[in-house]
Order: sequence, then structure tokens, then C-alpha cells
Amino acid sequence: MLEFFGRFHPVFVHLPIGILLLACICILLSLKQKFANLKHAIPLMLLFGALSAIVSCVTGYLLANGGDYDVNLVSYHQWMGISVAVLSIILWIIYKKVKSNGVLAAVATILVILISITGHLGGSLTHGSDYLTAPLKPDGAKNGAAIPPIPNVQEAFVYQNAIQPLLKNRCYSCHGSEKQKGKLRLDQEEYILKGGEDGHTVVKGKADESELIKRILLPLNDEDHMAPKEKPQLSTNEIALLKWWINNGADFKKKFKDLPQGDDIKPVLASLQKGEDATAEIKNNDIPTEEISAADDKSLKKLADAGVTIVPVSQNTNYLSANFVNVQVMGKDILDLLKSIDKQLLWLKLENAKVNDQTLTAIKDCKNLSRLNLNNTQITDAGLVALKDLDQLQSLSLVGTKVTLKGIDQLKKLKNLKFLYLYQTKITKADLAAIKKLLPKTNLDTGNYRIPTLSQDTTVFKAP
Amino acid sequence: MTRDELNAHRLIKEAHEANARLHSRRHFLKESAMGLGALAMGSLLGSCGNLFSDKQTRIAYDPAHPLLPKSPPLVGKAKSVIYLHMAGAPSQLELFDFKPELMKMDGQDCPPSLLAGKKFAFITGVPKMLGPQATFAKHGQSGALVSDNLPHFSTMVDEVTFLKAVKTDQFNHAPAQLLVHTGSPRLGRPSMGSWVTYGLGSENQNLPGYVVLTSGGSFPDAGKSVWGSGFLPSVYQGVQCRSEGDPVLFIKDPDGMNRDLRKASIEAINKANEQQYQEYNDPEILSRIAQYEMAYRMQISAPEVMNINDEPAYIHEMYGTQPGKACFANNVLLARKLVEKGVRYIQLFDWGWDAHGDNPNNSLNIGLKNKCRTIDRPITALLLDLKQRGLLEETLVVWGGEFGRTPMMENRNGIQNPFKGRDHHTEAFTIWMAGGGVKKGFTHGETDEIGYSAISGKVDAFDIQATILNQLGFDHEQFTYPFQGRPFRLTDVAGKVIREVVA
Repeated sequence: MLEFFGRFHPVFVHLPIGILLLACICILLSLKQKFANLKHAIPLMLLFGALSAIVSCVTGYLLANGGDYDVNLVSYHQWMGISVAVLSIILWIIYKKVKSNGVLAAVATILVILISITGHLGGSLTHGSDYLTAPLKPDGAKNGAAIPPIPNVQEAFVYQNAIQPLLKNRCYSCHGSEKQKGKLRLDQEEYILKGGEDGHTVVKGKADESELIKRILLPLNDEDHMAPKEKPQLSTNEIALLKWWINNGADFKKKFKDLPQGDDIKPVLASLQKGEDATAEIKNNDIPTEEISAADDKSLKKLADAGVTIVPVSQNTNYLSANFVNVQVMGKDILDLLKSIDKQLLWLKLENAKVNDQTLTAIKDCKNLSRLNLNNTQITDAGLVALKDLDQLQSLSLVGTKVTLKGIDQLKKLKNLKFLYLYQTKITKADLAAIKKLLPKTNLDTGNYRIPTLSQDTTVFKAP
Repeated sequence: MTRDELNAHRLIKEAHEANARLHSRRHFLKESAMGLGALAMGSLLGSCGNLFSDKQTRIAYDPAHPLLPKSPPLVGKAKSVIYLHMAGAPSQLELFDFKPELMKMDGQDCPPSLLAGKKFAFITGVPKMLGPQATFAKHGQSGALVSDNLPHFSTMVDEVTFLKAVKTDQFNHAPAQLLVHTGSPRLGRPSMGSWVTYGLGSENQNLPGYVVLTSGGSFPDAGKSVWGSGFLPSVYQGVQCRSEGDPVLFIKDPDGMNRDLRKASIEAINKANEQQYQEYNDPEILSRIAQYEMAYRMQISAPEVMNINDEPAYIHEMYGTQPGKACFANNVLLARKLVEKGVRYIQLFDWGWDAHGDNPNNSLNIGLKNKCRTIDRPITALLLDLKQRGLLEETLVVWGGEFGRTPMMENRNGIQNPFKGRDHHTEAFTIWMAGGGVKKGFTHGETDEIGYSAISGKVDAFDIQATILNQLGFDHEQFTYPFQGRPFRLTDVAGKVIREVVA
């Protein structure tokens, strides 16, 4: 029951923070003649602030008794909190008696400092001590791979180089030196083996019986699922690695090469070496990393009304994919509408559309365009000028157009071009060498494949 | 009145009152308060969303425009799928899974260890082992093994990912086909194409999003439910087109009916349907209206796209088509045309791969070889043609059967079959994928030295479904449809994306 009241601590703490800060600000302001009338309100503010500070101290004490928090941190937080309460009471008592502005200002400033420190310590208790500064650290270590790349996996130590960093990034914030939720610490060998209040955190040789693995594998919605739903989850590779380590005796000294390596674990180890998590969520390397604003609804509606199929390339992005396959009548200004979404347009399919060299200029500023299909259009060499600065293009399909080597010459700035399709164009195999020089990294495909006729193609086998 | 009469009268009155109490408004409200409350509570809590449901993929389903294109939850590498299903189950041991050890055992009795506790569709007693009935060679830079049954396809191995250790738990055609395409061996689940068109809609609004083409003289054993929509809105079922004659029956207006009259009659029907919808609010009526409109547009678009005669002669030669006839090659060429037009999911079935060896057409060295002739050029041409048009990047091609075939020769009812043949086998078979963001020239999984069971890289139908959905931009675990009080998935409670094959 007492613990229940303790749970109100996170709610109540905001009252003294707010009220006392306001009171202190008012004290400082009221030193100026202009705000002198604030003085009448200050004792009341201080009284409420002091009272709420006392309530916070009491609930905080109850919460600390019930929770598994870092003892040191709790004790700092506790004494700082108490001193805030005491100082605010003192300030309330002396406020009317002290006539010296200097003293009042000094006490108020000290109180503000105390409140800030107490608040920060409280935040560290709830969110982890690195919560505030995490975004400042390079790569955040939040959602990325928990294990740094290991250049030579076989010679590395399983626990020290892989398991420990993994636990550190995924578990320590609640099961480490600061907090021991469920009485579990995972930051040292002896604690890992000792387990938490439910015991059996790690059963050597039996991952399936180890509470550590069991909880990780529980459905995300299960109350006991680890890591908690709102925290970064372990990737499949990381789980596989933990299971493999436990199944092979959860040894703290051995190197990777000392443990048996089945087919299941080999790809995991390979990706450790590369420093990438092969099973982590697919990186959206198809989408530029830069976040952009959503396209204007009006332009989208106009395009859709004209028959253009236009949708974001995925649900969580503003980059768009447009396809003109349903456009029956290509009005003059439809392509011009693309200008209003020039930042968002990522994929564009104009196959069979009535587009010519002149109207194509509408896309010359679509800087993010990465896939463009101009198959069977009226585009000629002159039209390709519009593409010359679209350096994010990865795939360009010019099948069935009249482009020649001269036109391709204008594409030499497209350094990211991976695929260039030139089937049924005026470009011949002989031109390929020249294009290769311009765009050395691009896969060129002039198509026109033939399948040889073999005598057996027509053989019909019959029963003897 | 006597005392008895009085009593009786009182009893009757009481009974009436009791009865009336059951019919009073007050009684109704009192008794149903709990139920109404619960209903209200349910809708209140329901609107709290995340309280009770996980962050499942929400698909905006608009019954009036069911096929409008939608964004996948994640960026998909593939935009379309062409699934080539060899109904009857081709023999992996004569096509892709070369087992020299099996050759050595040819003609020997099957070791009891391979039979103990196993069930087969036809094999009874002790069958003989049967060595590979084809010659194999390594091909391409990847060195993939392909038999001489597929001389043209063997030049394409560097574009393809082979899954050599596919497993299933169904050894009869119909349930095994259902498992591959609907995620359940029993009837009633939506097929993969339905899920995909439900989730993504279709880019082309004048054609169905999910087209089915069959060849080989017979439908797949599982019948049309293998492209059914199950509990998904019926508009997402596969539309079967014919590869001979009109693509869809009665697509031409009958004599005396011109286009304007057709339009007028469809408008009249839709008006009536709209009235019906105002009255009943059944979203299926909106789907029906949309379907009528689609059918009207398809009258123009379908004959055009389903007509392969406009293709140049060298393309026909490449695919090995037989214009005017119903055959696999024509269907494959159609599949390419449909992908070009933005159709989302194209499902081909080719019947006649069930090489038991009970007659020559069903044998490994007669019937199977003839079957291979009919697909070798078309599948090779499909990959090359998609590639040269820049479509292979965004089109996932899948080829496979519903299960594999035994390393033993079939002995039906204990008597050896007259021709070389193999029984249905669930433990290991080969499926390949190409394009759509899967690796090129890659092999995943391995079988033991006689090709009996998978020893590494085992995958099953659910894993393949999860992978196909992944390539299209779906997390198969989050892609659900609420039905009968719970969210359903294509992959049910199983499946794992085969990350190894994703490029």
C-alpha cells in the first residue's frame, strides 16, 4: 500500500519544481521596483511550494523503499530533495522578516540550483544516467548494433568482446550498477550467474531454460518481455549470439574459436566481423537519409485527378513514387505539376507516356529522383539534358527511345547510376566501351537477348 | 368465487405480471444495461488503439476504390511478383539437386532408416533407390548445378537464388499447394496474391491487380481456392484469365450492344447498387460497383494487354510461344506484359509435373523431359526480357512446386512402377527466386548426400511467404487482417524472412 503512494512521486515532484522555481523567479523580479507588487503573492507561493516539496519527499521515500535503484544515486537525490524542502520552508519563514534584498536573492538562487540538481538526479534514476547526454554522443548507440565490429572474430573473446558490450547496451540501464530491477545485475560475471529474484537467469548449456533468453523471446506485448517494449529491442543476431553463448556453457574466458560453430551461428559471426547486423531491420538505403516535408496536398490531388498514380514509397516517409500508367490524356501541364513535388519525387515511371524533350524539362530539379523509367517515350538526346544534374539517379531506363551515344554523354555527372537500360535504342554494343568510360560504375544493358535454338528444344520423348 | 377460484385468479394475474415485467421497457433497460455498457466500453477501449493491439500495419481499405495503390509499411525492393508454380511437384533430383551418391545406390533396396516412421503418398514396403535420371553440370560464375533438362535456363543461374532445402509437411497436392499459397493446408485462407493486392493495391486501375493464368491442360489440384481471397474482401481474389480466345469470357460486347449502351446499362446497374448501399451500408456493394466499373474499363484494356500477337517475332521465338494455343510459354509472355502494365501479382500454374512413373507421360525420362522442354525457353526468356526492360530489379520471380520427390523409385502398393518415377517427398525440394532484390547467383541450403533430407538452410512455405512479403515492403508479423475476433497473418504464427537471400 505504501509503495502505491510512492508511485505518485513522479507526479508530485513536478509541483515543487514548478511552484518554487516560479517563486524564486518572482523573488528576483520583485527586487525591481517595476515588479514590486509581486511581493504580496510570494509567501503563498513559497508555502505551497514548501508543502508540495514535503509531499514529494515523503512519496519519494516510499518509492525508494520499494524500487531497485542505485543506492548511491537515491541517497544523493533524497538528501538534495530534503534540503530543497527545508530551504523552501526557511525561505517562507524568513521572507517577511528579512529586509536585505541581497540575502533573499542569494537564498532564492541557491534554491534554484538545489532544485535543478535534485531534478536531474531524479531523472537519472528513472531514465538512466546517460539519458540526457545520449543524443549528443556519436551514433547514439541507441538503435544501432549493440556490438562494435570485431575485426578478427575467431581470435576475440566471446564474453568480453561481444556478450558484454551487448549486455551493456541493451540491459545495464536497468540491470547494472545503478538499477537492479528484479534484483538482477548483468554487469559482472558473478551477478550474471547469481541471477535475479526468479533465479536461473543463465543456465549454463541450456539457453531454453535460461530466464534471460525466455524473457527475450516472449511476445513483445507480454508484461515480462525483455527488453521492455519501449526500449530498443535485441536483434535476431544478438539473440542468436546470446543463445549460442549460453548453449555452449556461458563461458567468460573463451575465445570464439574455442566454441563449436554450427551453420546457424556462422552468418552471425560473419556479420559481427563486418560490424553490421545482417538481420537488423533493413536499412532503407533506397530512401535518402535526409528527412523532408510532405508534399503539398493540392498538387498531389491535381496529379491524382489527372490519373497519375502517386503514393509515398513507404508509409513512414514523404518521398513519393509516381507512375503515369493510368494517364489517358496527357494534358500540357500535368508534367509541370511535378515541379511542385520536385524534392519529394523519388521514383518516376513515364513508360509509354506522352512526354517529349520539351516537357521532360519539368523534372530537371527533381534532385532526389533515384529511379526513372522513360521506356517507349519520344525522348531523344536533347531531352536527356533535363537529367544532367539528377546525380541521385540510381536506375535509368531508356528502353525504346531514340537516344544515342551523344545523349548519354550528358549523363556523365550521374555518379550514383547503378543501372542504365538501353535496349531498343540507337546505342549499339560498339558504343558501350565509350559509355563505360563515362560511367564506370554503371551496369549497362543493351538487351536484345536471343536464346539459341537447340536441336533438343523440339525433341519429343516417346515411350519405347 | 370460491377460494380455489380466487387463488387460481391470483396466480394467473401474478403470472401475467411476471410475464409483463419481462416485456417492460424498464426491464429491458435494466437487464441490458450491462450488455450495452460492455458494448460502449468495447468501442471506447477499441478507440484507444494501442492499449490492446500492437502496432500492427494498418491498411486503409476503401471499399469504393479497393485497388487504389497504397504505400507499403517499409520500402519494398519489389513492386510486382510473378509466381511460376509447377503443379504436381517437379523432381528436384532431376533438375537442381545433384546427388552422385544416389547414383551409386541406384537399384539397391532403400535402407530401413529412411523408411522408419515415415509416411509416403504411395510408397509401401521397401522401394529401390533411384539414381539421378539426368546429367548435371556446373554453370555460370556461381557454379550452380543444373541438369541437361534445362539447357537454356542453366545459362541464367547467375541471376538466380536457389533455395535447396525447402520443406513442407503436406504430401498431397491440394493441401501442399494451399500451404504454399495461402499459408494453411486447409481451405478458407486468403492467397498470397490477395494479401499483396489488399496491402498494396495495384498501379494500373484498368486491370485486375492479381491475375492467374493456368496451363498444362488442368487446373491445380487445390482448385480455385488456391487463388481465393478467403476472409479478405472478395475484390482481392485472383482473376483467372484465359490464354486462348478471349482473356475473360464475354469480354466483348455482344452483337447489337455498342459501347454507349454498355456504359448506360452499367451506370443504371450501379445506380441501383448505390441505392442498395444507402439502405444496407454493406461495403461489399461498393466493391461490386467498383468491379462493374473496372469490368467496363477492362473491356478495352484487357484484350489489348492480353494479346501477344503484337509482340515482334523474335520475342515470340525467344519465349517459344504458340500463338492461338493455351500454353505455358504464352502465359509467361503475358506475365511480362502484365508486369509492364503495373499488375501487382501474377500467378501461373502449369500442370503435369507429377512424375510417379505409372505411365510414360508421368515418368522421369519421358514425361518430365517433355515438360522441361515446355518451360525451359519461357522461363529463360522471362528473366532476360524483364532484365533488358529494367523490370527485373523490381519484379520478384519465384519458381517452384508444392513439394519434392523421393530419392526412392516409387513402388505403388509394393509393386515397382513400370516407368522411372518418384513419389511425393516433403523433406527437401528446390525453389528458386530471381529479381526483386534477392541475391544473384546464390544458393541457400543443402540436402544430405542422397537428397533425402535438408541438412542446412532449411526453409518452409512460411519462410518463403515472409521473404516475398519482405521484398514487397511488409513485415509479415505486422501485416494482419482482423477476422473472427483475432488478427490473422498470411504466415499464421510461423515464418522467418530468409535474410541470407536478400541482396
